[in-house]
Amino acid sequence: MSEIILKVKDLRKIYDDKAVVNDISFEVKKGEIFGILGPNGAGKTTTLEMIETLREIDGGSITIDGIDVAREPNKVKGIIGVQPQTPAFQDKQKLSEIIEMFAAAYGVKVNAKELLDDVQLGDKINSYPENLSGGQRQRMSIAAALVHDPTVFFLDEPTTGLDPQARRNLWDLIRHVRDKGVTVIMTTHYLDEAELLCDRVAIMDSGKIIALDTPNNLIKQLLKRGFSKEQKVEQANLDDVFIDLTGKALRN
Amino acid sequence: MNIKQQLRTVLIFTKLSTRRFFRDRLAQFFGILFPLIFLVVFGSLNSGSNNVSFNVAVLNESNTEFSKTLVKQLKDGKVFKVDKQATTLAKAKDKMSKNQIDGIIVLPKDFGALKPGQSYPSGQAQILYNQSSSGTGQTLTSVLEGNFKQLNARSGVPAPPFSVAGKQLNENSLSAFDYTFAGLLGFSIVGLGIFGPINVFPELKKQGILRRLRTTPIKTWQYFLATMFSQAATGLISIAIQFAVAIQFFHLHVAGNYFEIILFTIFSIFMILGIGLAIGGWAKNERQAAPLGNIIVFPMLFLSGTFFPRFLMPEWLQNVSMFLPLTPVIDGLRLLTTEGKHLVDIAPQLGLVGLWMIVIYAVAFRVFKWE
Repeated sequence: MSEIILKVKDLRKIYDDKAVVNDISFEVKKGEIFGILGPNGAGKTTTLEMIETLREIDGGSITIDGIDVAREPNKVKGIIGVQPQTPAFQDKQKLSEIIEMFAAAYGVKVNAKELLDDVQLGDKINSYPENLSGGQRQRMSIAAALVHDPTVFFLDEPTTGLDPQARRNLWDLIRHVRDKGVTVIMTTHYLDEAELLCDRVAIMDSGKIIALDTPNNLIKQLLKRGFSKEQKVEQANLDDVFIDLTGKALRN
Repeated sequence: MNIKQQLRTVLIFTKLSTRRFFRDRLAQFFGILFPLIFLVVFGSLNSGSNNVSFNVAVLNESNTEFSKTLVKQLKDGKVFKVDKQATTLAKAKDKMSKNQIDGIIVLPKDFGALKPGQSYPSGQAQILYNQSSSGTGQTLTSVLEGNFKQLNARSGVPAPPFSVAGKQLNENSLSAFDYTFAGLLGFSIVGLGIFGPINVFPELKKQGILRRLRTTPIKTWQYFLATMFSQAATGLISIAIQFAVAIQFFHLHVAGNYFEIILFTIFSIFMILGIGLAIGGWAKNERQAAPLGNIIVFPMLFLSGTFFPRFLMPEWLQNVSMFLPLTPVIDGLRLLTTEGKHLVDIAPQLGLVGLWMIVIYAVAFRVFKWE
């Protein structure tokens, strides 16, 4: 379980003389869900895009499954799946055709129905993406990113803008993907999401990684430093109320 | 991926984007209906332009049978359009000053009467025309002279010792529509191949669709090739429809070989699409794509003989415009379609299209950006 799948070393990205990613290093183990957290502008997306071969690497190195990203970007593209921040698909193409198109781009043949069933979109196989809801579009994007059975799967803020039901549904889906043996690396703004979903998280600020551990350990370390917050006796929060009242069932 | 798998990727992309064209009403409008509207407008403007005709006023002051017959002949003939309202000299002159008629034919009082000692009728018609249209007036005079010569011959007067005879040759002559049609085909190839990509690519970039594709192992050449193939498929459909309309409604006479026309059309579509791929592929957004596209496309449309034939331009301009990418496309299509030439006869055009293809795609590959 402790095999290293992604190795980032002294990674650096400079825009206008400013290091937006400043010599960061981290490793991701095979089969874990790894979260990158941080405020806006911390360098999360830039880091992710350099790993995904979309941005030039200004310094340091990245290897995925032993392949150097800078040297063999095309080989890397074949083993990673990418979910962009805002999934977009060309309109007037059926979901089955979009799956077929992505499969062709990776040079593989797939069963579109099976893939769509896996993300609960089997009944939408003949729909156009412009008729999908936000959550459905995210699930479609996941299906499209997994056509070629990637080793590592990247998601950039997958739950932003979704309602609580759709968020929970997506969490289940991400766990499901991980259970199939895919390593998941995701960025998020939602700390509850990271705490629930991620095996380990890296917290970034101003282009640096300022903490990296399991969510539990990070909380323990904070408490050890003498942090205390006003004790609450309630064993539930508003989120629980919302889900209790409206149910977990997906809408639309 | 080996080359066979890579080509399979190209074919699947081709199939899917061609299929998408049949669902996209806007693309169909610009690809098929828009050129068709131009075809109908220009076709209607040009139809009948084979027959030169003059608008004239005929003032008959004579009462003879002969002059009445002559007026009737003029009215029934195709060469003259006799204005019905201009019945007096004053009215006719007024119309002529407004350029509504080209000239006035006056048959004087004694026209067509038998003069004492003659066995045949005689007379001299007058033709009045304005200084500003003396060319038309002289043509009118000689046309009428020709008519009278036939009358003279029939009346038994011996033919004058010298005469000139004009003879019309009808073999394979090009009508104005033949020139226009090749130009309009060029226009629709430009519409699909340049205006298509410069509208679509910035949108694909804005939505991040191209960027998403870039995270897959697909290569630029595969994406280009798929775009070229599906463009050729939709372009051929559009052009086939235009041929059908031109043949059915504007009496287009196709002298050439359809197979050769199709081959040359595909070749031309590939080359022109390269311009669209270069502009749309280079531009980051529509604010960059639209101005650059217009700067390149509109001069080319006018200089390459899309809407009016290039031989109407001054010679120096013809010498320059003959090297534009669209010129050999239009010339080649006209030579193959209406002049019945073969691919071997249009080697210069083929060569020029091929040369541009190399230059354009070299640029397009270099400037293409996925986002």
